[in-house]
Amino acid sequence: MVEISIVQALLIGLWTAFCYMGNLWGIYTNRCIVLSFGVGVILGDIPTALQCGAIGELAFMGFGVGAGGTVPPNPIGPGIIGTLMAITMSSVTPESALPISIPFAVAIQFLQTAIYTVRAGAPESAAHALEKQDFNKFRRSANMTVILFGVAGFALGFLGAFSMDTLSKLVEMIPQWLLDGLTVAGGMLPAIGFAMIMSVMLKKELIPFALLGYICAAYFSLPIIGIALVGAVFAIKHYNEAGKTAVAAASAAEAQEVEHDDWI
Amino acid sequence: MTGSNNETKKLTTKDYTKTTLRAYFLQNGFNYSNYQGLGYALTMFPAFKKLYGDDPARLSEELKDNCEFYNTNPNLLPFITSIHLAMAESGMKYSEIRGIKMALMGPLAGIGDSLSQFCLAPLFSTIFASMAMDGMSFAPLGFLFAMNFVLLGIKMVMGTYGRKLGTSMIDKLSEKMGVISDAAGMIGVTVIAGLAATFVKMKVALTFAAGEVQEGVKQSVMDIQGMLDKIAPALLPILYTMLMYYLIKKKHVTTYWLVLITVVLGVLLSVLGVLA
Repeated sequence: MVEISIVQALLIGLWTAFCYMGNLWGIYTNRCIVLSFGVGVILGDIPTALQCGAIGELAFMGFGVGAGGTVPPNPIGPGIIGTLMAITMSSVTPESALPISIPFAVAIQFLQTAIYTVRAGAPESAAHALEKQDFNKFRRSANMTVILFGVAGFALGFLGAFSMDTLSKLVEMIPQWLLDGLTVAGGMLPAIGFAMIMSVMLKKELIPFALLGYICAAYFSLPIIGIALVGAVFAIKHYNEAGKTAVAAASAAEAQEVEHDDWI
Repeated sequence: MTGSNNETKKLTTKDYTKTTLRAYFLQNGFNYSNYQGLGYALTMFPAFKKLYGDDPARLSEELKDNCEFYNTNPNLLPFITSIHLAMAESGMKYSEIRGIKMALMGPLAGIGDSLSQFCLAPLFSTIFASMAMDGMSFAPLGFLFAMNFVLLGIKMVMGTYGRKLGTSMIDKLSEKMGVISDAAGMIGVTVIAGLAATFVKMKVALTFAAGEVQEGVKQSVMDIQGMLDKIAPALLPILYTMLMYYLIKKKHVTTYWLVLITVVLGVLLSVLGVLA
């Protein structure tokens, strides 16, 4: 059991607040891999944090940031709470931290929906402020969602870190067979993330590429970048062939111009 | 169109760049009644202040008009705001600009979301997550840097093109986007299939003793996982991923159920000693 000092709990709160606000700014801080790294740096256990972050990131990949204003389960669950558990409790592995922290991810999802709903009255108060030409009040109103995100993020991170003692007592009550089972489940959960993203990306024409990826990974044990490069070979070929007619005309014109410049 | 009734001020490149960067604030006021409406007005605020600052009534009216419902992709927003500013700068009223602003919202949301969330994010996320898995501590920061570098680049290009090329750009963009997203799809599907084979972990723990059990004699043990690995490595992870895909795509099972099913199944198979 690693003890968390009050300063560390505060830092984790601030880190969570920043990352959660980044969710609205679209800077991709609210991802498991980033969230857990901060926890690892603050608590001085980067290797465990990297494992938690990678496992959570892969499992949550398909949930994304939520297209068109929809709210997905929140990576703060595994990224902050799950990582805290894996680092502080010896009985929790990075794999079992993922399923244990999923209820938090869902709870935070509801919290976020609640914030958006509470803020539904904001346009009215903003319009009111503008009628009175109170531009500062308008700006406060237009920034309130991100401020609430900051407050909620801080509360989640700080309370999560602060109450790790209580949480660890609860986790200690989980019997070993269940923890083992949750570790197995944690290894299977990324399948959902991959399937989710596949359900968006996979078209009939792309099935050969799914096979290609499997062969490269399973039979040849290529690293991921190697697999990405094999895919890139076909992607570049496709891009060149599809744009051949249009690009040929354009590049011909361009080449002429360049030649022309050279002559002068 | 009469631009004579108000002598609008000119905006500089700095004003355009500032508005482009303020696309990060588009969701600062996100809510369930006008979505990014407040954020749109907030993004435009400094530029509007420069254009209409002498006339607070006009400024407040412009802001109020721009608080109406909006929902698009923040990374492509600069294209819209730059067109908006270029038109406003030439003296056009909001009623004349509104049509193009609203027409661009949907297509750019579709293009932008599929580009950032379904191409770039999965690509970088998988690459850097696999590096993190191997214990490389620069991976999380590498992910942040790669993602934001590309997205900032897109914002800047969009802002510049919006100002220069105006509306003709959108057709060209969606034409090219088809090919780009196909190509990105090829890389994406290849990588994700590879990842599923690598990072979904399912190992059979069951073993069978060959022949009858005899005391004192070393049994030759049939290891099921070893056999599976010889036929097709990572077979179970791929089959399970395919099952999940089938349930999502054909049966429209929600993620909650899938998570629940997986956790229960994992615990059950572990307790029964089938998986380890």
